[in-house]
Amino acid sequence: MNGTLETAMGPAELSVACQQLLGQGGRMQMAYAWYPEADAPPEILYLGDQAARQPFVLFRCRLAPQQQPPSLAIVSPLLGWYEREIHDLFGVTFEGHPEPYPLVLHEGARPVLPPLDPRFHPDEPIPFTPSPWQLPEIHGKDVQRLPFGPVRGDVLESAQIVFYYIGEAILHCHPQLFFKHRGMEKRFEGLYPKQAVLLAERVSGVDSVAHSLAFCQAIEVACDCAPPLRAQYLRVILAELERLYNHLHYLGHLCHTTTLKVGEAEGKLLEERAKQINATLTGSRFLRGLLTPGGLRRDFDVTGLHRKLDALKPEIDTYMSNLEKTNSHLDRLMTTGPLPLKVAFDQGASGPIKRASGIDRDLRRDHPYAVYGDLAVKVPVKVDGDAHARAQVRMEEIGASIELIEQALARIPDGPVCAEIDLQRGREGLGWSEGSRGSTYYAVHLDHAGRLIRVKVKSPSFSNWRVFPFTVHDTNMMDYAINEASFGLTMAGCDR
Amino acid sequence: MLSDLLILTAALWAASFIITLVERSGVLARIGLVLGCCSAVVLSIGGLNFGIPAFSLPIYLADTPVTFQLDVPALWLLFFGSVPALLATLLGTSSHSSRAKRYWMAGTALALLGALGVFGFQDAMSLLVAWEVMSFGGAVMILGERVESRGSRPALFMLALLEVGAVGLVLALLLLGSQANTFAFAGFGGMTSSATSFFAGLLLLIGFGAKLGLLPFYEWFPAAYGSGSGATGTIFSGVVLNAAFFGLQRGAAAWLPKTGGWSTSIAIVYILVGVLSAILAIFYAFQEEDWRRLLSFSSAENACIGIATLGVSLLLTANSHPVLAALAWNVALLHLAGHSLAKGALFLTADGVFHANGEYAIRQRGLLRRTSAVLGIGAVFAAMSLAALPPQAGFVSEWYIFQTLFRGTQATTLVSRLTLALAAAGLALTAAVALATFVKLFGIGLLGDGHEGRAPVSPIRNGAVFTLGLCVLGLAVGMPWWLNCLSTANLSLFGADAAASMRDGLLLIPLSNKFAFISPTKLVVAMPALTLIPVALILAGRVNRTLRRAPIWYGGRREASSGIATTSLAFSNALRTFYGFIYGPTHDVRREYDQAPYFVKRLVFNQELAPIFGPYLFSPLVRIVRSLATAIRPLQSGYLNFYNALIGILLVLILALSLLIQ
Amino acid sequence: MPIWTLYGIRKGIATTAWPDQRGDEGQEGLLGFPRYHPEACEEGCHACADACLPGAIRLAKDGSEPERLSIDYGKCIVCQLCTEACPSGAMERSEDWAFGVRNREDLRWAEALSSGPANEVKEKIKKVFGRSLHIRHVDAGSCNGCESELQALNNPFYNLHRLGIFFTPSPRFADLLLVTGPVTYAMRDALLETYSAMPEPRWVMATGTCAVSGGAVGGGYACWNGVDDVLQVDVYIPGCPPNPVAILQALLLLLNRDRQRVAGGRVAE
Repeated sequence: MNGTLETAMGPAELSVACQQLLGQGGRMQMAYAWYPEADAPPEILYLGDQAARQPFVLFRCRLAPQQQPPSLAIVSPLLGWYEREIHDLFGVTFEGHPEPYPLVLHEGARPVLPPLDPRFHPDEPIPFTPSPWQLPEIHGKDVQRLPFGPVRGDVLESAQIVFYYIGEAILHCHPQLFFKHRGMEKRFEGLYPKQAVLLAERVSGVDSVAHSLAFCQAIEVACDCAPPLRAQYLRVILAELERLYNHLHYLGHLCHTTTLKVGEAEGKLLEERAKQINATLTGSRFLRGLLTPGGLRRDFDVTGLHRKLDALKPEIDTYMSNLEKTNSHLDRLMTTGPLPLKVAFDQGASGPIKRASGIDRDLRRDHPYAVYGDLAVKVPVKVDGDAHARAQVRMEEIGASIELIEQALARIPDGPVCAEIDLQRGREGLGWSEGSRGSTYYAVHLDHAGRLIRVKVKSPSFSNWRVFPFTVHDTNMMDYAINEASFGLTMAGCDR
Repeated sequence: MLSDLLILTAALWAASFIITLVERSGVLARIGLVLGCCSAVVLSIGGLNFGIPAFSLPIYLADTPVTFQLDVPALWLLFFGSVPALLATLLGTSSHSSRAKRYWMAGTALALLGALGVFGFQDAMSLLVAWEVMSFGGAVMILGERVESRGSRPALFMLALLEVGAVGLVLALLLLGSQANTFAFAGFGGMTSSATSFFAGLLLLIGFGAKLGLLPFYEWFPAAYGSGSGATGTIFSGVVLNAAFFGLQRGAAAWLPKTGGWSTSIAIVYILVGVLSAILAIFYAFQEEDWRRLLSFSSAENACIGIATLGVSLLLTANSHPVLAALAWNVALLHLAGHSLAKGALFLTADGVFHANGEYAIRQRGLLRRTSAVLGIGAVFAAMSLAALPPQAGFVSEWYIFQTLFRGTQATTLVSRLTLALAAAGLALTAAVALATFVKLFGIGLLGDGHEGRAPVSPIRNGAVFTLGLCVLGLAVGMPWWLNCLSTANLSLFGADAAASMRDGLLLIPLSNKFAFISPTKLVVAMPALTLIPVALILAGRVNRTLRRAPIWYGGRREASSGIATTSLAFSNALRTFYGFIYGPTHDVRREYDQAPYFVKRLVFNQELAPIFGPYLFSPLVRIVRSLATAIRPLQSGYLNFYNALIGILLVLILALSLLIQ
Repeated sequence: MPIWTLYGIRKGIATTAWPDQRGDEGQEGLLGFPRYHPEACEEGCHACADACLPGAIRLAKDGSEPERLSIDYGKCIVCQLCTEACPSGAMERSEDWAFGVRNREDLRWAEALSSGPANEVKEKIKKVFGRSLHIRHVDAGSCNGCESELQALNNPFYNLHRLGIFFTPSPRFADLLLVTGPVTYAMRDALLETYSAMPEPRWVMATGTCAVSGGAVGGGYACWNGVDDVLQVDVYIPGCPPNPVAILQALLLLLNRDRQRVAGGRVAE
């Protein structure tokens, strides 16, 4: 796969290779499967990250018919979810998995074939009878199970949060996600990349740029195409504008949970203004409809952007410094939902979440794409790991984003925004981006005609939802909403 | 005529006791008990206005003629104790073995006889004998019910603490007797205010308080009640508790000096100890997860409110406000009366829960929806009363308590005012927690939905609970008339008739209608009338509209209600956390993992509360007793008989003492 | 410590004057549904239909000669690919985004307008609600874009409450079920459960192209093709996502406080 350092190996060698990578300070990033041939068993690919500015490593493992690969969940716990996903979508069972239950498909879903099997083309959604979840066994008559959702209060995305609780005190939390599983990865199959990028924009609406950028870069890497420099600068501007409105929304929503009403209104008003800037600049409040493999679909005028940001910036600064001076707000954030560095690392925390727990990694700086390599990227890191640290990381990122846009605006050249791309050259490629919520990876596989045969989407929320419950066990109900808001998660990206 | 009934009552109970020793089936014994209770009810209602005059028995103890007299407060407390006792003996213990039933009836007969003695005997020695018989009867009841399971620790713990009380009682009576140079109660009243009188008051408090659940003695309540049946609880919280309260109020109101600094001091001690005990008892009650244990703590709370009110009466007497003092005294009696009826109803409901669910645990098992509404009505009336909700009896008495305290604060010295204000604050706290407690008991234990139990509740039990529930309401509704009964006693004890000034037509007033008033009698008419409005609205809304029932909203998924029902702990944990300094709660979560610590397979949860006096008072005592026991192991047979022998020895000692003094 | 109330007051009024005053919607520069000019169409060209991912533009299968395009704005994801693909300007970029309609048919482009925009439930709704509305939102598998815009309704700029419209935490006191997303297999039961938990009379609004028709993600092994597959819909508001004013306009349309602007697939001013 272009963009990675490949090693082919048998199932037996996986565990050693994984341990070796971890021993060298590396970390697994994701695992997925695909069918290289229609009637043969799937191939499983494990993506790992060695260190900053080093290529990603990829373990490729072809399975023999009926072969069960070993589970790596004990060695690298974050792989547990990926293995369960592969089991649900490809019917591959991992030997010795500590949680051998469905994940992406709900208990009670009964597809005729594994959904990503190329022979599977259902006319309507798979048959489904709601069944109880797999939850840890509980001993003690005092413990109440408290299901919350999937239709929750206010305007929220669908998920059911199941608590084991004893009145206020939470003993165990189980987020039951994937109510919103739309089978997006299968929808990419057979499409040409130019249309497929529209799907990538719609995997997670508020991360449209992060997703479509990772997708476009995966195609470009696969096809050895370099987008023109102006397009790369514009991409950076788009990506940072996306971070800006998301982080402002995050702050407003966090104030909502700490019942700081004016703070909430101000945060959401600033978000609205950022979105309106997006609309005047690109025609879309979500910055959609611009990115395409090879560059951008059309150029847009960035001359007015500087002035608009200059008007917004002092207000954002005042807002954030006020938040940092509000005791009632800070009291609710400090020490809430602490995430230790080890858990963050083991379970695969991503983006601001891991940077708030002391893990200093950012794809923009460590694996630069677009023109991030030429710009000075500030990466704020905190070590407390609590809700306040997570908020602080995001607040500092807002400043860093505006600086990046200003740098880009100062240096952006004129010129074309789209390069020719020869899709028939391409086979496989890996693309990535660091969005507002963390790292997004796209792995693409193309056929000879340049159509997609497999697209794997790794969104940051998939990683962070895995981590989240570890900060909820043994806490209390009053902190829950604040803690969830401090993670800034989306379901859509996670569920796909 | 009434004296004949009295003799009949005693004879029936005594006969029942003897019958249990010979008859295996227990039918005759039960008939005897029930008839005895009937007779007691008739007897006490008959004499309620003027009391039953004294008559002498042809026995002398310690050179004192044994006389028997039931005065108005005795008959009042006996009446409200014997009504639930009647139904409890009718329904019997919830234990299934016939041996247990026999033991239980034997114990009940003894306890009832003892209680009758405590109410009626007019000299110290007879009182002590009756007191011991009552305690012993209680122990036999509990031990009898557990005869099959052979666990006797709770009963022994109870007896041990009661013996501490008994020692206090012996000393108090000796002290009073030596001061008065007689052991007949008629001569006890002449003490002057002194350290001795203070000490005597303290000993009385300890002696009777051991049975009333005063701190630290309430700690025997849950273990003892919790190992017996609801029927046992009914007797304990009714007749037995009332008898003990009768003893205390007689000692406090008639024997202790009425004026002087030491009188004020003892009054303040009564109030503070009562209020503090009530607070602690209701706090522990709220956390209980067993019907009997919760109700037992609540009994302690109510008895302690009674003690505090008695203290208020003493304080007002010492401040020369006899009318207000009489008011407080009346209120204490009202409170105990309503409590006996309501508590009886709930203890009998607890046995119904046990029959239906096979356990006494407070859990959502959907009991109310599969049993007669009659049970629910009886239980909800009783629970309302104990939670002090209008228009029930508990509300009336709590309202009177607060009115008395408010009036008292206007009329006394600074120290007294301060005490009364603190008492009001403390009692307000208990009232709030009591409300939460009974919402929990009724809501989770009866009303809550859940998986089905095994059996229905018998119609007789439904009827019994309903009857007691109606009695609670009847007491509140008939309050203007019930108050009449206390007039003569007011005059004889305080020289002022407060009872007559506690009502104004159908209104209840705290001596003056300018201050405040309520009228449960009118409320009972008005409340159903008010419900017509929502009913009419519902009916109007139904016109031209079909009724559509939607499943319970759980956030979009159908859930089986059994697993997600609010548990007892989930209901009360917030308070447990907030008042952690009282409860000292320990929560222990153990997680079992599969291979690595991120993958939880099983959660094991345990929780506990730390009793306040257990570790610091009782445990060291237990350790001392244990080491002593090890030292005198040869004497220790390990059986109940040995303990009975000890009680026998104590009785012999009392007799010997009385001979010596003679 | 900052005094937030003062801070808020000093900021002044942030709320738009819309709907009393048109032109202050805050959607400047936002691209809407492409306008179709059939007279500019080149014969035999179907570049737009080829470019359309969700199949909103298709060749009509009625055998007419020359080939005719059938356009369904209920499926349009506003990606603008057709406007870029069209060689003759028959598909024109526009700022028409207020596409809330009562009849699904009104979203399909039609040569002649059969009738004016439908207003049949007018009196009934007014009678039931007066002017207020309580909404229960259900996310039946959206990409979170629609949620982002629904949440924006409560920000000071749009300030939903001023119009007497509220989101409720429970369906028990909701009048309107507002659905986003194509309805995934796992959310179908939850959606029906929510609907059945609502008191009558109740209305359903399909918000966003996914909910209207499934859009680009409907179908497949995990999704239905919009709310129509599951419930009867009263108001449709396509868009990917519809902007907050478009959603507001559709809500006012339901309440008969605004008129339907679209019929036969075009804005009928």
